[in-house]
Amino acid sequence: MSETAPRITNNGSAGRILLLFGRVALAGILLFAAYAKLKPPVPGMRWSKASVKTSIAMFAMNVDSFQMLATPHQVSVVAHLLPFCELGLGLWLLSGILLRFSSVIAMLVFGGFFTLIVRTYMLGLEINCGCFGPGEKLGPRNLLVDGSLLALAVAVTLGAFFLSRKRGGEGAPSSAPAAEGAG
Amino acid sequence: MINDYVAAGKVYLIHRDFPLPMHTYGYEAARWVNAAARIGKFEEVEAALYDNQKAWTVDGNIQKYVAGALSDADFKRVQKLMIGCGMEVKPPSGPDNPSGCPLDANIEADKQLGNQIPVKATPTFLTYYKGQKYPAASGVISWPVMKQYFDSLLAQ
Repeated sequence: MSETAPRITNNGSAGRILLLFGRVALAGILLFAAYAKLKPPVPGMRWSKASVKTSIAMFAMNVDSFQMLATPHQVSVVAHLLPFCELGLGLWLLSGILLRFSSVIAMLVFGGFFTLIVRTYMLGLEINCGCFGPGEKLGPRNLLVDGSLLALAVAVTLGAFFLSRKRGGEGAPSSAPAAEGAG
Repeated sequence: MINDYVAAGKVYLIHRDFPLPMHTYGYEAARWVNAAARIGKFEEVEAALYDNQKAWTVDGNIQKYVAGALSDADFKRVQKLMIGCGMEVKPPSGPDNPSGCPLDANIEADKQLGNQIPVKATPTFLTYYKGQKYPAASGVISWPVMKQYFDSLLAQ
């Protein structure tokens, strides 16, 4: 008993560190994706309301080219909401608050992106992905990247639930840093 | 776009050809459209070919739709320009290997411009505004969505 107890603690620490890296990586990717969609479309252009509006309008063209949404209004709504949702989810993941919930949402988001990419690739649409800004042709690389991100989101979600349950089982919720597993 | 923005002088639209080798009759279609452009009938022929793309991409009968879009006299003029540009005349394989079809020079020049962007998918839209080049967009984009993009640029 005295030999197993420290091992559990070490595994728990390693798990928490992996989870920290995983969620920070996911958060960074989401924040970068949001930045790439909102940044001024032309190098040297200053950030302004007009530049963001143009960037969103360009992203709307990307969204439309996926031929998933029925009306231009739906395209516009998605193009206006998605970058800010990515920004919000990225910050939420970074904060670590309610990690189980934020990681589940991230998993669903990346699952949705992956499904969309697979569908588009199978349809043979020659379009730009727009996933990380304009000018990125959709191809096998996107499948690999989005599949990897989905796998990472699943791993972070499983880790968040596992560590949360483990802390509950050990009866020591206060020992876990709030930023890593408050969920 | 042509009716709303080009006619109003808000947008200057330039069409470029970028026929892909995987599209069997793409180059031939570009030749017909270029021939029509030389007699000022680009829009009519381009619209006819887009509208009937599913048919001629199967059987290669492009001539039928070009003829349908033009008067008899205009079609004869286009046919004259297409002499030496039949389906049997293969596209140039490089700058040093011209095909013999006089229309191919324009198409090849457009392809060179496309390669400089570079065009990664068709159709690709490249926008310039106030001297600045904006990132290319590609795929089928509905006019209301593209209109929002132009409006955002024009509001800058």
